[in-house]
Amino acid sequence: MGFSLTGAHVIYFIVSVIIASAVSGVLVAVTHNVNTSLSETGDRIQTQLDTDFKIVNDPHNIPNISGYYRFYLKNIGGKQLATTNTTFNLFVDGEIISTTKYNFSDESIQVGEITTIYLANSEISSGDHDLRVVGPQAVDDEFAFKI
Amino acid sequence: MGLSLSAATAIIGVSILLSIEFMVANVIPTMTDTNDSFDEMRERTIDQMQTDITITNVTNTSLGAPYDLNITVENTGSIVLETSYFNILTNGTSQEFICSDPYLYPEDMVYFNITNQPKNGRLKIITDNGISDYLDYVIS
Repeated sequence: MGFSLTGAHVIYFIVSVIIASAVSGVLVAVTHNVNTSLSETGDRIQTQLDTDFKIVNDPHNIPNISGYYRFYLKNIGGKQLATTNTTFNLFVDGEIISTTKYNFSDESIQVGEITTIYLANSEISSGDHDLRVVGPQAVDDEFAFKI
Repeated sequence: MGLSLSAATAIIGVSILLSIEFMVANVIPTMTDTNDSFDEMRERTIDQMQTDITITNVTNTSLGAPYDLNITVENTGSIVLETSYFNILTNGTSQEFICSDPYLYPEDMVYFNITNQPKNGRLKIITDNGISDYLDYVIS
Protein backbone atom coordinates (compact mmCIF):
# COMPACT_ATOMS: atom_id res chain seq x y z
CA MET A 1 0.00 0.00 0.00
CA GLY A 2 2.90 2.34 0.94
CA PHE A 3 4.70 1.55 -2.27
CA SER A 4 1.48 2.14 -4.25
CA LEU A 5 1.05 5.58 -2.72
CA THR A 6 4.67 6.55 -3.48
CA GLY A 7 4.38 5.07 -6.94
CA ALA A 8 1.18 7.00 -7.57
CA HIS A 9 2.89 10.25 -6.47
CA VAL A 10 5.83 9.57 -8.73
CA ILE A 11 3.45 8.92 -11.60
CA TYR A 12 1.53 12.15 -10.81
CA PHE A 13 4.83 14.03 -10.74
CA ILE A 14 6.05 12.61 -14.06
CA VAL A 15 2.68 13.15 -15.74
CA SER A 16 2.39 16.72 -14.46
CA VAL A 17 5.94 17.52 -15.60
CA ILE A 18 5.22 16.02 -19.03
CA ILE A 19 1.96 17.99 -19.37
CA ALA A 20 3.61 21.21 -18.14
CA SER A 21 6.49 20.70 -20.57
CA ALA A 22 4.07 20.11 -23.44
CA VAL A 23 2.10 23.26 -22.57
CA SER A 24 5.37 25.20 -22.29
CA GLY A 25 6.54 23.89 -25.64
CA VAL A 26 3.30 24.90 -27.32
CA LEU A 27 3.40 28.31 -25.64
CA VAL A 28 6.99 28.98 -26.71
CA ALA A 29 6.31 27.74 -30.26
CA VAL A 30 3.18 29.90 -30.60
CA THR A 31 5.04 32.90 -29.20
CA HIS A 32 7.87 32.31 -31.64
CA ASN A 33 5.45 32.14 -34.57
CA VAL A 34 3.64 35.28 -33.44
CA ASN A 35 7.00 37.02 -33.04
CA THR A 36 8.12 35.99 -36.52
CA SER A 37 4.83 37.17 -38.04
CA LEU A 38 4.98 40.47 -36.17
CA SER A 39 8.56 41.00 -37.29
CA GLU A 40 7.68 40.24 -40.93
CA THR A 41 4.62 42.51 -40.76
CA GLY A 42 6.84 45.24 -39.30
CA ASP A 43 9.33 44.80 -42.14
CA ARG A 44 6.55 45.01 -44.72
CA ILE A 45 5.10 48.16 -43.14
CA GLN A 46 8.60 49.66 -43.03
CA THR A 47 9.15 48.85 -46.72
CA GLN A 48 5.77 50.36 -47.54
CA LEU A 49 6.57 53.56 -45.61
CA ASP A 50 10.06 53.84 -47.15
CA THR A 51 8.88 53.28 -50.72
CA ASP A 52 7.74 56.18 -52.83
CA PHE A 53 8.22 56.94 -56.51
CA LYS A 54 6.78 59.19 -59.16
CA ILE A 55 6.44 59.22 -62.94
CA VAL A 56 7.94 62.58 -63.89
CA ASN A 57 7.35 62.72 -67.64
CA ASP A 58 5.91 65.68 -69.43
CA PRO A 59 2.38 64.33 -70.10
CA HIS A 60 2.23 66.07 -73.49
CA ASN A 61 5.58 64.74 -74.72
CA ILE A 62 6.19 61.05 -74.15
CA PRO A 63 9.40 60.12 -75.98
CA ASN A 64 8.83 57.38 -78.56
CA ILE A 65 12.22 56.04 -79.60
CA SER A 66 13.04 52.76 -81.38
CA GLY A 67 9.62 51.23 -80.80
CA TYR A 68 9.45 52.05 -77.10
CA TYR A 69 7.79 54.82 -75.14
CA ARG A 70 10.04 56.12 -72.38
CA PHE A 71 8.63 56.83 -68.96
CA TYR A 72 10.86 58.32 -66.28
CA LEU A 73 10.43 56.92 -62.79
CA LYS A 74 12.00 58.90 -59.93
CA ASN A 75 12.73 57.42 -56.50
CA ILE A 76 11.34 59.97 -54.03
CA GLY A 77 11.20 57.49 -51.16
CA GLY A 78 13.60 56.80 -48.33
CA LYS A 79 15.56 53.82 -49.61
CA GLN A 80 16.99 52.16 -52.69
CA LEU A 81 14.36 50.88 -55.10
CA ALA A 82 14.72 47.62 -57.03
CA THR A 83 13.39 48.29 -60.52
CA THR A 84 12.76 45.05 -62.36
CA ASN A 85 9.85 43.41 -64.16
CA THR A 86 9.22 41.28 -61.08
CA THR A 87 9.11 44.15 -58.56
CA PHE A 88 7.01 46.42 -60.79
CA ASN A 89 3.79 45.91 -62.69
CA LEU A 90 2.39 48.32 -65.26
CA PHE A 91 -1.25 48.99 -66.09
CA VAL A 92 -2.34 51.09 -69.04
CA ASP A 93 -5.97 52.19 -68.81
CA GLY A 94 -6.51 49.49 -66.20
CA GLU A 95 -5.13 46.65 -68.34
CA ILE A 96 -2.08 44.87 -67.01
CA ILE A 97 0.92 44.91 -69.34
CA SER A 98 2.81 41.67 -69.93
CA THR A 99 6.27 41.74 -68.36
CA THR A 100 7.75 40.95 -71.76
CA LYS A 101 6.51 44.32 -73.07
CA TYR A 102 8.51 46.57 -70.76
CA ASN A 103 11.86 46.81 -69.05
CA PHE A 104 13.90 49.22 -66.96
CA SER A 105 17.19 50.93 -67.77
CA ASP A 106 18.53 50.14 -64.26
CA GLU A 107 18.09 47.22 -61.88
CA SER A 108 17.92 49.56 -58.91
CA ILE A 109 17.97 53.29 -58.19
CA GLN A 110 19.09 55.23 -55.15
CA VAL A 111 17.00 57.92 -53.48
CA GLY A 112 16.59 60.93 -55.80
CA GLU A 113 17.69 59.04 -58.91
CA ILE A 114 15.70 58.37 -62.02
CA THR A 115 15.28 55.29 -64.19
CA THR A 116 13.69 54.86 -67.59
CA ILE A 117 10.84 52.43 -68.25
CA TYR A 118 10.84 51.26 -71.86
CA LEU A 119 7.28 50.30 -72.77
CA ALA A 120 6.58 48.76 -76.19
CA ASN A 121 4.64 51.30 -78.25
CA SER A 122 2.36 48.53 -79.54
CA GLU A 123 0.70 48.61 -76.08
CA ILE A 124 -0.47 52.23 -76.36
CA SER A 125 -2.59 53.75 -79.11
CA SER A 126 -2.90 57.47 -79.74
CA GLY A 127 -5.13 59.48 -77.44
CA ASP A 128 -5.45 60.02 -73.70
CA HIS A 129 -4.23 57.28 -71.40
CA ASP A 130 -3.57 56.47 -67.81
CA LEU A 131 -0.42 54.65 -66.70
CA ARG A 132 -0.40 53.03 -63.28
CA VAL A 133 2.92 51.78 -61.96
CA VAL A 134 2.69 49.37 -59.03
CA GLY A 135 5.89 48.74 -57.11
CA PRO A 136 7.00 46.87 -53.98
CA GLN A 137 4.31 46.37 -51.31
CA ALA A 138 1.69 47.62 -53.80
CA VAL A 139 2.91 51.21 -53.56
CA ASP A 140 1.77 52.85 -56.77
CA ASP A 141 1.74 56.00 -58.85
CA GLU A 142 -0.67 57.02 -61.54
CA PHE A 143 0.14 59.22 -64.51
CA ALA A 144 -2.26 60.61 -67.10
CA PHE A 145 -0.73 61.41 -70.48
CA LYS A 146 -1.51 62.04 -74.11
CA ILE A 147 0.04 60.34 -77.13
CA MET B 1 0.75 16.12 -5.29
CA GLY B 2 2.07 19.44 -3.97
CA LEU B 3 5.49 18.82 -5.52
CA SER B 4 3.89 17.90 -8.86
CA LEU B 5 1.87 21.11 -8.86
CA SER B 6 4.93 23.18 -7.94
CA ALA B 7 7.05 21.59 -10.66
CA ALA B 8 4.35 22.11 -13.29
CA THR B 9 3.82 25.71 -12.18
CA ALA B 10 7.57 26.37 -12.29
CA ILE B 11 7.93 24.92 -15.80
CA ILE B 12 4.95 26.88 -17.16
CA GLY B 13 6.08 30.02 -15.31
CA VAL B 14 9.56 29.84 -16.84
CA SER B 15 8.10 29.32 -20.32
CA ILE B 16 5.76 32.32 -19.84
CA LEU B 17 8.73 34.45 -18.78
CA LEU B 18 10.73 33.24 -21.79
CA SER B 19 7.82 34.02 -24.12
CA ILE B 20 7.46 37.52 -22.70
CA GLU B 21 11.21 38.04 -23.05
CA PHE B 22 11.15 36.89 -26.71
CA MET B 23 8.14 39.09 -27.40
CA VAL B 24 9.62 42.22 -25.83
CA ALA B 25 13.05 41.67 -27.42
CA ASN B 26 11.46 41.31 -30.85
CA VAL B 27 8.48 43.66 -30.85
CA ILE B 28 10.17 46.75 -29.41
CA PRO B 29 12.90 46.99 -32.11
CA THR B 30 10.30 46.33 -34.82
CA MET B 31 8.07 49.09 -33.43
CA THR B 32 11.04 51.45 -33.15
CA ASP B 33 12.10 50.81 -36.77
CA THR B 34 8.52 51.22 -38.02
CA ASN B 35 8.19 54.45 -36.05
CA ASP B 36 11.46 55.74 -37.58
CA SER B 37 10.18 54.92 -41.07
CA PHE B 38 6.90 56.69 -40.34
CA ASP B 39 8.78 59.77 -39.09
CA GLU B 40 10.91 59.81 -42.26
CA MET B 41 7.81 59.47 -44.44
CA ARG B 42 6.16 62.35 -42.58
CA GLU B 43 9.27 64.50 -43.04
CA ARG B 44 9.37 63.68 -46.76
CA THR B 45 5.71 64.66 -47.10
CA ILE B 46 6.27 67.93 -45.22
CA ASP B 47 9.34 68.65 -47.39
CA GLN B 48 7.27 68.06 -50.52
CA MET B 49 4.60 70.47 -49.29
CA GLN B 50 7.27 73.10 -48.60
CA THR B 51 9.00 72.65 -51.97
CA ASP B 52 8.32 74.93 -54.89
CA ILE B 53 10.43 76.11 -57.83
CA THR B 54 9.87 78.56 -60.66
CA ILE B 55 11.66 78.64 -63.98
CA THR B 56 12.20 82.38 -64.30
CA ASN B 57 14.21 82.72 -67.50
CA VAL B 58 15.69 80.82 -70.43
CA THR B 59 18.46 82.32 -72.55
CA ASN B 60 20.54 81.06 -75.44
CA THR B 61 24.32 81.00 -74.98
CA SER B 62 25.32 79.65 -78.40
CA LEU B 63 25.82 81.55 -81.66
CA GLY B 64 23.34 79.48 -83.66
CA ALA B 65 21.44 76.22 -83.89
CA PRO B 66 21.50 73.85 -82.09
CA TYR B 67 21.06 76.03 -79.04
CA ASP B 68 22.71 75.89 -75.63
CA LEU B 69 20.28 76.98 -72.98
CA ASN B 70 20.90 78.73 -69.72
CA ILE B 71 17.89 78.14 -67.49
CA THR B 72 17.32 80.22 -64.37
CA VAL B 73 15.45 78.48 -61.59
CA GLU B 74 14.32 80.13 -58.37
CA ASN B 75 13.55 78.32 -55.15
CA THR B 76 10.14 79.70 -54.19
CA GLY B 77 9.65 77.15 -51.44
CA SER B 78 11.11 77.05 -47.97
CA ILE B 79 13.53 74.12 -47.94
CA VAL B 80 17.03 73.66 -49.37
CA LEU B 81 17.14 71.61 -52.57
CA GLU B 82 20.02 69.47 -53.85
CA THR B 83 20.48 70.31 -57.52
CA SER B 84 22.42 67.15 -58.43
CA TYR B 85 19.14 65.23 -57.98
CA PHE B 86 17.18 67.57 -60.28
CA ASN B 87 16.00 66.37 -63.66
CA ILE B 88 15.44 68.43 -66.78
CA LEU B 89 13.17 67.40 -69.63
CA THR B 90 12.98 69.28 -72.91
CA ASN B 91 10.08 68.28 -75.10
CA GLY B 92 9.68 65.26 -72.84
CA THR B 93 13.22 63.92 -73.11
CA SER B 94 15.60 63.78 -70.15
CA GLN B 95 18.71 65.95 -70.56
CA GLU B 96 22.18 65.98 -69.05
CA PHE B 97 22.91 69.33 -67.42
CA ILE B 98 25.47 71.38 -65.53
CA CYS B 99 24.32 73.43 -62.57
CA SER B 100 25.96 76.55 -61.12
CA ASP B 101 25.48 75.47 -57.47
CA PRO B 102 25.12 72.16 -55.63
CA TYR B 103 22.37 73.54 -53.40
CA LEU B 104 19.42 75.80 -54.13
CA TYR B 105 18.51 77.79 -51.05
CA PRO B 106 15.10 79.40 -50.47
CA GLU B 107 14.65 82.63 -52.49
CA ASP B 108 17.95 81.98 -54.30
CA MET B 109 18.46 81.23 -57.97
CA VAL B 110 20.66 78.73 -59.80
CA TYR B 111 21.52 78.33 -63.46
CA PHE B 112 21.25 75.09 -65.38
CA ASN B 113 23.05 74.69 -68.69
CA ILE B 114 21.90 72.20 -71.30
CA THR B 115 23.27 71.85 -74.82
CA ASN B 116 22.01 70.97 -78.32
CA GLN B 117 18.42 72.09 -77.91
CA PRO B 118 15.84 73.13 -80.52
CA LYS B 119 14.78 76.75 -81.05
CA ASN B 120 11.57 76.34 -79.13
CA GLY B 121 10.22 73.75 -76.80
CA ARG B 122 8.72 72.87 -73.49
CA LEU B 123 10.87 72.60 -70.39
CA LYS B 124 10.11 70.63 -67.29
CA ILE B 125 12.35 70.77 -64.25
CA ILE B 126 11.87 68.25 -61.46
CA THR B 127 13.31 68.64 -57.98
CA ASP B 128 14.87 65.88 -55.87
CA ASN B 129 11.50 65.20 -54.22
CA GLY B 130 9.42 65.19 -57.40
CA ILE B 131 8.04 68.74 -57.40
CA SER B 132 8.21 70.33 -60.86
CA ASP B 133 7.69 73.41 -62.96
CA TYR B 134 7.06 73.85 -66.69
CA LEU B 135 7.96 76.57 -69.16
CA ASP B 136 7.44 76.95 -72.90
CA TYR B 137 10.44 78.74 -74.37
CA VAL B 138 11.24 80.33 -77.73
CA ILE B 139 14.76 81.43 -78.64
CA SER B 140 14.52 84.80 -80.38
